[in-house]
Amino acid sequence: MSYTVGQPLGRALLSHADAAYAYALRLTRRPSDADDLVQESFARALAGAAGFRDGSLKAWLFRIVRNTYIDLHHRGAPRPEAEPVDIIDDAPLFQDDLELDRLRRVVAEDIEAALRELTEESRSIILFDLEGFTETEVAGLMGCAVGTVKSRLARARAALRGKLQDYVR
Amino acid sequence: MDCRDTRPLLADHAAGKLDEVRTAAVEAHLQGCADCQRLAASEDALNAALARLPRPPAPARLTARLEDMVAAAEKPERVRARRAPFRASTWLTPFASACVAAALVVVVTRATTPAGPGPGALVTEAVNDHLRVVTSTRPIEIESGGIHQVKPWFTGRLEFAPRVTFSGDDDFPLQGGSIGYFVDRKAAVFQFKRRLHAITLLVFPASGLTWPSGPTKQVGRLAISENVSRGFSILLWQDDSLGYALVSDVNMHDLETLAGKINEP
Repeated sequence: MSYTVGQPLGRALLSHADAAYAYALRLTRRPSDADDLVQESFARALAGAAGFRDGSLKAWLFRIVRNTYIDLHHRGAPRPEAEPVDIIDDAPLFQDDLELDRLRRVVAEDIEAALRELTEESRSIILFDLEGFTETEVAGLMGCAVGTVKSRLARARAALRGKLQDYVR
Repeated sequence: MDCRDTRPLLADHAAGKLDEVRTAAVEAHLQGCADCQRLAASEDALNAALARLPRPPAPARLTARLEDMVAAAEKPERVRARRAPFRASTWLTPFASACVAAALVVVVTRATTPAGPGPGALVTEAVNDHLRVVTSTRPIEIESGGIHQVKPWFTGRLEFAPRVTFSGDDDFPLQGGSIGYFVDRKAAVFQFKRRLHAITLLVFPASGLTWPSGPTKQVGRLAISENVSRGFSILLWQDDSLGYALVSDVNMHDLETLAGKINEP
């Protein structure tokens, strides 16, 4: 659903509810928490509708979902240590064709489990890429420079491949 | 272009996102680098695996709440309650609670319509809840050592006692239970299995819901509504004040067999 600035944006937001819920579910890992996160995010989006200027409404909503998650999830609790930065050259490589073949047979449950083991940042950037957001949009979502999106995504994917090795033995 | 330049581009290369110049450069490097070839193949495999991730839709009750919130935001002068109050949550801030509360006092132009969602919505909700259970990272909050271990666990967690006496058997082993929601109310969620298939049984207060009015089938002592939606079989029935929804991708015959066992006095 396209959105034109100046029009009521609530209806347009609703068209992204399924995508926002799927993302929220992978952030919170619990359906009831995902419900609450999406509700809170919609509340903030509706209250801050005047703040949406231009660009992708879906990306704007996802940014609110992520910020709300970080805000609420870490309220009263110390933020966990950031994931160690993966050095691309040290990223796990699949050493032989057998391991590659196993990766090709990874089922959705395996990749769900491997995603859950990633940090929120790595999980989010992979999911944003999967949603088809542009590099500029991902940079806005992650709060980083456009020029660092590729390397962050490459690190996150390398980390995911590393986690998946546990599931494809 | 060396390995360090190439590797950050392999994901985009696998996804076909690179322009012609960079595609040519990456492919030239790949021709002479076995390690990067292997990594490129793993990027392809990873993309394929990520494409297999399911996208669970927003549950019907969440969508309904969001619609209320949007309606309240767009037409704040229209005031009246539409739905039952939603549960308080540790996740919601006072701000969101206020927004939702405002949404819940939206005028109902459909005030004359029956309370609760229509019959089709019950089927949709049952399938969504089943999908939420099977995609949940913690689908079972109490592991089953039999129904006499699972049922007492619900005490104090629900405002009703779910009447389920079937303890599971070799054909339909009971996996465990958890608390869920059905439409706007809490539900006891029981997880059974049939070979490798997950079966979800939801038990919830039946009042205020509009039940399917189509043909029913007598299974044991109860008339059961049979439904098929999105490839899932769904059985819905009422027993006194409680509603039951049994959902799975097993065939209807297997599901009826389990419903018969659940309904045995």
